[in-house]
Amino acid sequence: MNITRTPSADGTVILTFDRAGSAANIFDRATLEELDAHFTALENESGLRGLILASAKPKIFIAGADLNTLAQHADDSAALGEIVDLGHRVFTRLGRLPIPSVAAIHGACLGGGLELALACDWRVASTDKATKLGLPETQLGILPAWGGSTRLPKLIGLPQALGLILTGRQIAGAQALKLGVVDEVAHAEYLPDAARRLVARGKRRAARPSWLSRAPLSALVARRARRETLAKTGGHYPAPLRAIEVCMRAVGGPLEHGFALEKAAFLELVRSPECRNLVAVFFLQDRAKKLPSDPGISPMAVKRVAVIGAGTMGAGIAQWVSARGYPVRLKDVNPEALARGLHAIEQVYADAVKRRVFTLPEATAGLDRIVPIHTDVPLTGVDLVIEAAIEKLELKQQVFRELEARVGPDTILATNTSALSIDAIAAELARPERVVGLHFFNPVHRMQLVEIVRGPRTSARALDTALQFAKAIGKLPVIAKDSPGFLVNRILLPYLVEAVGLFSEGVPAAAVDRLMLDFGMPMGPLRLCDEVGIDVAQDVAKDLGRRLPDGVPINDTLEKMIAHSWLGRKSGRGFYVHPGRGGREAPNPETRFLQRARERRTPTAAAQLDRMVLIMINEAARVLDERVVDAPEDVDFGMIMGTGWAPFRGGPLRHADTLGAAEIVRRLDGLARDVAPHFAPCDRMRKMARDGRGFYSEPGTKPDAGSSSRRDDIPPGNGSAVLQPGSLARTEAPDDSGRAAPIEHAHPRSP
Amino acid sequence: MKEAAYIVAGVRTPFCKMGTALAGADAIDLGRAAAAAVLARTGLDPAEIDEVIFGCVGQPIDAANAGRVIALRAGVPERVAAMTVQRNCASGFEAITQAAEKIAAGRGDIFLVGGTESMSRYPLLYGDRAAKKFGELAKARTAGQQLAALLRFRPGDFAPRVSLQLGLADPVCGCNMGQTAETLAREWRITRDAQDQFALRSHQRAAAAKPRLAEETTPVYPRGGGAPVSVTEDNGVRANQSLDALAKLRPVFEKRGGTVTAGNASQITDGAVALLVMSEGGLKRTGLAPLGRLVDYAYAGCEPARMGLGPVYAIARAEQRSGLGLKDAELIEINEAFAAQVLACRAAGESADFGRRQLGRAGALGEIPHEILNVNGGAVALGHPVGATGARLVLTALKELQRRRARRALVSLCVGGGQGGALWLEAA
Repeated sequence: MNITRTPSADGTVILTFDRAGSAANIFDRATLEELDAHFTALENESGLRGLILASAKPKIFIAGADLNTLAQHADDSAALGEIVDLGHRVFTRLGRLPIPSVAAIHGACLGGGLELALACDWRVASTDKATKLGLPETQLGILPAWGGSTRLPKLIGLPQALGLILTGRQIAGAQALKLGVVDEVAHAEYLPDAARRLVARGKRRAARPSWLSRAPLSALVARRARRETLAKTGGHYPAPLRAIEVCMRAVGGPLEHGFALEKAAFLELVRSPECRNLVAVFFLQDRAKKLPSDPGISPMAVKRVAVIGAGTMGAGIAQWVSARGYPVRLKDVNPEALARGLHAIEQVYADAVKRRVFTLPEATAGLDRIVPIHTDVPLTGVDLVIEAAIEKLELKQQVFRELEARVGPDTILATNTSALSIDAIAAELARPERVVGLHFFNPVHRMQLVEIVRGPRTSARALDTALQFAKAIGKLPVIAKDSPGFLVNRILLPYLVEAVGLFSEGVPAAAVDRLMLDFGMPMGPLRLCDEVGIDVAQDVAKDLGRRLPDGVPINDTLEKMIAHSWLGRKSGRGFYVHPGRGGREAPNPETRFLQRARERRTPTAAAQLDRMVLIMINEAARVLDERVVDAPEDVDFGMIMGTGWAPFRGGPLRHADTLGAAEIVRRLDGLARDVAPHFAPCDRMRKMARDGRGFYSEPGTKPDAGSSSRRDDIPPGNGSAVLQPGSLARTEAPDDSGRAAPIEHAHPRSP
Repeated sequence: MKEAAYIVAGVRTPFCKMGTALAGADAIDLGRAAAAAVLARTGLDPAEIDEVIFGCVGQPIDAANAGRVIALRAGVPERVAAMTVQRNCASGFEAITQAAEKIAAGRGDIFLVGGTESMSRYPLLYGDRAAKKFGELAKARTAGQQLAALLRFRPGDFAPRVSLQLGLADPVCGCNMGQTAETLAREWRITRDAQDQFALRSHQRAAAAKPRLAEETTPVYPRGGGAPVSVTEDNGVRANQSLDALAKLRPVFEKRGGTVTAGNASQITDGAVALLVMSEGGLKRTGLAPLGRLVDYAYAGCEPARMGLGPVYAIARAEQRSGLGLKDAELIEINEAFAAQVLACRAAGESADFGRRQLGRAGALGEIPHEILNVNGGAVALGHPVGATGARLVLTALKELQRRRARRALVSLCVGGGQGGALWLEAA
């Protein structure tokens, strides 16, 4: 039973969605059929005045379609087609009921949920922060195919509809009202009254479509949308392009025409590798949100946090943590460093206010939660300390020694180090077991990934506290072993070094970067070096080179750049010239002397690409071999969330499986022979090639879209669990600067 | 007092001249910075606090109960009550003595108190006549009515009334604070030179005390600026102040024959102070060590036109209650509203005639030796953010008692409108 029918004295019928045993309402076949049965009953009754659709869940109206159905039937067009038809039929039946229908929307109303609402005569949304409307399908490589691509353009016009469908953007009630997606907004408490008033308006008469939704202007609108989408996605994502076409052709015709177009496009897209990989990434995110914790451990309930160091990372962490409601002590010995950190934090908040992520009082409260300190103060009331001082082992050891004397007996000590060994940092402590790595990525308010690093002596309690905390602040955790570079930098660094190598062999910086952009990376590797800082990149590379058994083949290019003070963006010059605000970046013309004249046998583009991509795969295989992480899923997830690794390719290991181990070994052998020995495939790669296996086809590591990550046991507040929009933003947080997910008790109608 | 009130810890913001480094922060921001800092430095869980009491004279228009807003913004839980107290220049005292009274009455053990003032942010006001016309304009419905309402305005209506000026004038005696100081200077024969000498010493002592004063301050990081700013020091102290420079200044309040100048009066300043006041039980519960104890106190009224003598009346009254007299003080702080006024207090204290006629004593109140008076400088150098000053004097005196390993300090100030306040403190 997922839907309850409540009659009322005035002849209005209320159908309430309340999926049994789940925090979220979703559409699967059973729910659709149940809904269909209700409509059958309604069609045969007389004396009814109207129908209201509502949800009993505190934060979710309907979160969308069951993704497991999609994953399970990906190869079965007939079965999928049948489900598409079923949705079309049931929703159309709703629209054609003799009585007026109203969707009373409170909570997440996404995908199929919004498509249901669009089939109603009227819609009213609550003003609550939990209420979000959107069609996120294109972000999963498909398109709204239960009438959404047809009904939304008809309702609000083609340009506005494309603005929602192509981005998967989720909008609040007020915005939905402005766009015409809903007809009314009301406080959650008054939602039923507002719905009744809409019932009283009777059936809705279809409005005449605007000129922009009709030929020939609709074609112009579509062409423009296509151009913008291509610019943003680099052509790697077919779904938005198909959606544009369907919307444009559906907007002027009868519903059934649009439905046929939706179905055809959907069945085509769902078979694409992009869709499969994007759905897989979705499940990876879901998996990270549910990383199980040790059942025997009771993690520290973190209530107060201290951040040591007010540099870029320390300030970023303090901002994010404060935005999620935690009081933060921000410690730095230098008041000027604190001033810079606080100023940076203030700007993140100010931007968030400008984008209406926060109200001004919310931003002020967030800033107020950060108390700057520059003297030694007692930290006994602090449950978790996150150290983000500069990356010098001796300094960090000293910081931790001092911390140990100042914190309470149970305080967990975390370090944000990206390079140093957790164990070395903890070495001199009386209780090294309370030290754990909590590695955030820059910029903290946009990067969702956090590496939780377990040192050999890290206690289960410390690890679990860090894990629970990462989840509590809305970050996506991956657990890694204390080893050089942990997960992300370990795999990223050889790639950056290889890119620098290609550059010094004479390939122009822009060409190197273009290659990887075309591959689907959000940013080219040499641009990334500039962003990270040439000196920082060199430091990390050298450090990894020292500590990894296989070393890192560093050349002296970066060293020479450092000698010229070309440190990347921060010094205005690196591989590129960064003119600052407003100016366009151009390759740094003075770097020519760093490049050997292009030899006759310049590597082909394909060979260049192999050098940069396969070296990551080879390193990832070593990472798995050394059990830095537990599963290939962790690698793909970490690389996609931590570096923006082409999500439509599913991550380096899924990409490797697409290529095949044998082919990878063949090409690596070739590179080892022709270019440099460090390309030699590692043992694990060779073994996989011999055994005809892939990373995901090893026993016990099958990618599971099944039971462990069912779509319908999404934890409350994650009703919007869809991959975020394309291009650069796709590995980033929903741009929320730490906006807390609506809190449990915030809703008056808790179940 | 029935149950002792301990002052456990205190922190203040730097004191900065009106319109300078702290002008971007309002009284709330300043109070919040001080309150958050004292909580951070002691590690006190704000949930332990029973009530928050802040002194503030010119409360921000958008924070009708400044104490409550400061408490919430400093992370004090919502269920903890808060209030704002106003006894003009003694508002900072009042916050402390209110907490002491509540402790004595058994109404709480742990109080976050303090004082805050942003003299930079005193608003400009419209006069009654203009306000009435604005009211009519707001009520006008039709375009015609609106136009008619607009046409009733005269250019003079738009001339603002400076609320700071109004606040520093006395509505009863009709003179401003500077004029009351001129009166005392005339009557007690305090020369311009004596005043300037006193002012010079204030600067010299404050300059020498810089490292000591730094112990009681916390940096403030004003928001809303285009660049990172940290305000770490008092900015009114002039280390290179000379007597010559002081002598060149023109009298402000009486152009002809006057003696009170900007140089020998307190500076108009922004700043805030926060202190923790606890009962014996509060100390036990938190395990914190006190700086000292409030032994007794008194407020006394006097003639508004001679409000500068307030300390003398208050000290006499405190002596009646506690038996502690000037001779018992090893350290004295008298707020330097005006050099002339502090010097007049000294003279009045030594006058047997004044003691008999005004204080109802057998003889003089006693001597206020320069050696132990305002040893770290005073408001002439550091400034006088009116609502915060009382709390600053207590904090500075307690820290100095600790440094000197001395026992008792007498802290006093004069209050606009004709009052004085005097607090007896004892080192822990």
